[in-house]
Amino acid sequence: MGVYDILKEWGVESYRVIDERAIKEITLGASILATGGGGDPEIGLLWAKRVLAEGKDIVMVDPMDVPDDILAASPACLGSALVLTEKPPSREVLNTAIDALQNYMKKKFEATIPLECGGVNSILAYAAAAEYGVPVIDVDGMNRAFPELQMTSWATLGIHASPTVSADNRKSVTIIDTKDNDLVAETISRGVAMAYGGISWIATYAMSGKELKETSILNSQSIAWDVGKAVFRAREKHECPIEELLKTLKEARNLQGYKVFEGKIVDIRRDFGSESSKGFTLGKVIIEGINRYKGSIAELDFQNEWLIVKVDGVIKCLPPDLIAILDRETGEPIRTDIMKYGYRGSIIVMPAHERMRTPKGIEMFGPRYFGYDADYVPVEELNK
Amino acid sequence: MENYRLGFDVGGTFTDGVLVQGSEVIAKSKSLTTEDVTTGIINVLDIILNKSKINPADIGMVSFGTTHTTNAIIERKNLNRVGIFRLGAPATTAIPPLTGWPEDLKEAIGGDQNVCILRGGSEYDGRDIVPLDEKSIMDACKEIKGKIDSIAITGVFSPMKTDHEDRAADIVRDILGEDVHITLSNKIASISILERENSTILNASVINVMRRAVKALKDAAKKRGIVAPLFIVQNDGSVMSADYAVDYPIFTVASGPAASVRGSVFLSRIKNGVVVDIGGTSTDVAYIVNGFPRESSITVNIGGVKTNIRCPDLLSIALGGGTIIKNKGKEVMELGPESVGHNLVRLGRSFGGPILTTHDIAVATGIIKEKLAIFETDFVTHKEKIDKLPKELVQNAYDKIKMTIELAIDQMKTTPEPIPAVFIGGGAMVVPSVDIKGTSEVVKPEHFEVGGAVGTTIAEIGAYAEGVVDLEIEKREIAIDNVIEKAKDNLESAGGVRNTAEVIDVEEIPFAYMPGKREKIRIRVKGKAFIGGDR
Repeated sequence: MGVYDILKEWGVESYRVIDERAIKEITLGASILATGGGGDPEIGLLWAKRVLAEGKDIVMVDPMDVPDDILAASPACLGSALVLTEKPPSREVLNTAIDALQNYMKKKFEATIPLECGGVNSILAYAAAAEYGVPVIDVDGMNRAFPELQMTSWATLGIHASPTVSADNRKSVTIIDTKDNDLVAETISRGVAMAYGGISWIATYAMSGKELKETSILNSQSIAWDVGKAVFRAREKHECPIEELLKTLKEARNLQGYKVFEGKIVDIRRDFGSESSKGFTLGKVIIEGINRYKGSIAELDFQNEWLIVKVDGVIKCLPPDLIAILDRETGEPIRTDIMKYGYRGSIIVMPAHERMRTPKGIEMFGPRYFGYDADYVPVEELNK
Repeated sequence: MENYRLGFDVGGTFTDGVLVQGSEVIAKSKSLTTEDVTTGIINVLDIILNKSKINPADIGMVSFGTTHTTNAIIERKNLNRVGIFRLGAPATTAIPPLTGWPEDLKEAIGGDQNVCILRGGSEYDGRDIVPLDEKSIMDACKEIKGKIDSIAITGVFSPMKTDHEDRAADIVRDILGEDVHITLSNKIASISILERENSTILNASVINVMRRAVKALKDAAKKRGIVAPLFIVQNDGSVMSADYAVDYPIFTVASGPAASVRGSVFLSRIKNGVVVDIGGTSTDVAYIVNGFPRESSITVNIGGVKTNIRCPDLLSIALGGGTIIKNKGKEVMELGPESVGHNLVRLGRSFGGPILTTHDIAVATGIIKEKLAIFETDFVTHKEKIDKLPKELVQNAYDKIKMTIELAIDQMKTTPEPIPAVFIGGGAMVVPSVDIKGTSEVVKPEHFEVGGAVGTTIAEIGAYAEGVVDLEIEKREIAIDNVIEKAKDNLESAGGVRNTAEVIDVEEIPFAYMPGKREKIRIRVKGKAFIGGDR
């Protein structure tokens, strides 16, 4: 049964076929929303291009058109972004993970859902959907990237990561079933990724159509697409990609983003310290203002993704709201794993989705979870 | 007496040549660049030898900044057919080699049929992904025998552990013999397999181009009685021996801007600051760190292919000596981006033409006052045309040009303090250089118009190495020392003198998303070129 048979069975008449141009736009948009993380988009892009070149169709469906009783799951990679750039996956590894999860659950998936917005993990769900002949649903679990498996709107609303299957290129399979304890699932998954050689390929967050409608960030792929399109549009017209992006977010999605700074990286303080057992890169970046921000200093903390930004000591954004540093000419995001001394960029901050800002969400991935002695204040209020 | 050093820099329009002794430029010349590049170089060589009347045997070093490899790749001309071996299966197969390459370039190197993904490669911690599949390598060699001129071998994590690539090379050599050139990715670039593999394949594709160029230049030198060793400028501005360059031609693709930075350092004695290289159409702004160009950290596109070879971090702006100034009355509407280029002497106001250019503003403001010996035409032939320009327009244009340069410098700076700036290139004599914001001084050194050629004559070799360490197991200092030793090995093989090695950069990059204290250490060293005598 192919993807169009499934759509027919669901009675879905409107859907979007994702072509190469769309993949480029979504990948760029997802990388911008990835808040400094999400890994090298080149891997996701080339993978999806290959799938398309093989004549397979990537078809995206609106979540509200999904029947309640179908089963969907999220294919993703988990581990070190740096290892991924050196060791791309085998063709089969995602299938290994998805098949093993299907066998364990004794059920078949009829759709894929992206775990997060990121250059790699968004697009994996698209590629896997095409391989399996199923649609990809226009949702994800955060509308940004976050460092840990449990940091999803799904988990805040009672949909759990377990069972998660973790696979590697040698067809190793580990089934992680920690029931409702998502923190333990995260810890085990990370250990497994280490044992596999730094990166693992997972199938996780299996849920019904009803559940995905009730707990996902709806239409997050479309938002990423809008963002990507805006930047490409600006490039073609030789206009400022950042202004175009902010305008688009406001007009198309009623999301008020803010440009809070423009400068160049003058110091990167990476900190192994006591956090080494946690398995993340922590650190601080100092950016010195240029143009109208001359004389000002911006400071950003990161844990794989950007966490918090201060301009001249004043907080401009707190998690789970989004931060992006974008190249001023191209709008290309500067990621925490590739940023370097001397990089020039504009800092923009954007509101997280309402489903990420619930009291449970703030508890699970707000400022205090990341060790800040600060209450969450929405980015709209910080930048009034 | 110190030996003479000859240097050549191939540009789009002109090939420049200089003869240097110590820090003195003895002779300099420009000649039109030829399509084959080599002839243009030999033309300048003969002009310089005739002008200076020195004994060719007294020349101690000859160095080139060439565009042979860049041209071959961009024009898809004279490329080798490349056998492509990736050691990484069962990993990596989702994205096979040559994915994303332009079709015509793919075709020009023999296409997909010579690509093999073989079982092998390492994990980040040195374990095998799987043992190297030697039998498959032998089979692949037999399969492609006669269909290829060179081989590119890329193994997963080979920059950290080279054994699978080394072993594969032995097998290839056994079966295909010495005539098939082998490029190993661990010698070419660092972590990030797709870009490194692309760089490795491109390197393998221009082996014969570089071999022929080096042979022609060597023959030409020999015929003229020059016995000195030949060197080629690499992308970081240092040089490598020509024999080494034959194996690593890809390291020469950005040698032009790199040579300009080195020339600026040499001529101005400024080791940290900004270089503004002004041509006829555009200006490249680069940053000097300890005498070398700061490296770009984004992927470098060569002929439509993404690579991760080391290249200078450049900011290019559309401002040069021939840039067209668009005005409405006394107001300057726009600066460029168009330029009259080499037609300046026909179209510029100073020469009786209809178009207002940067050059004309320099004449009007008195920035340029005299003819430069190296150019044939005088700097102004129709002074009356310039005198007619409204004073306010001239002032506005001057301000706009100055601001454009200041903005570019500001964007490249990484410190708020004013820094020294070096202005070089043919256009350096026509742009404002007084009271430039953000700079402590602007130096326009003597011989600025052949700065790139001078930059090739600096007998310094650069090399680098990297390694991955776990700081929970290894001591940081010891780990760094180990990588420094590796960089010195590489310096020696590039033609450098080991005991002159000096560390110029230590970079530590932690692995994100991973427990422990693992990081990558990257070391850059420089040392004197070996030009005779004891090592």
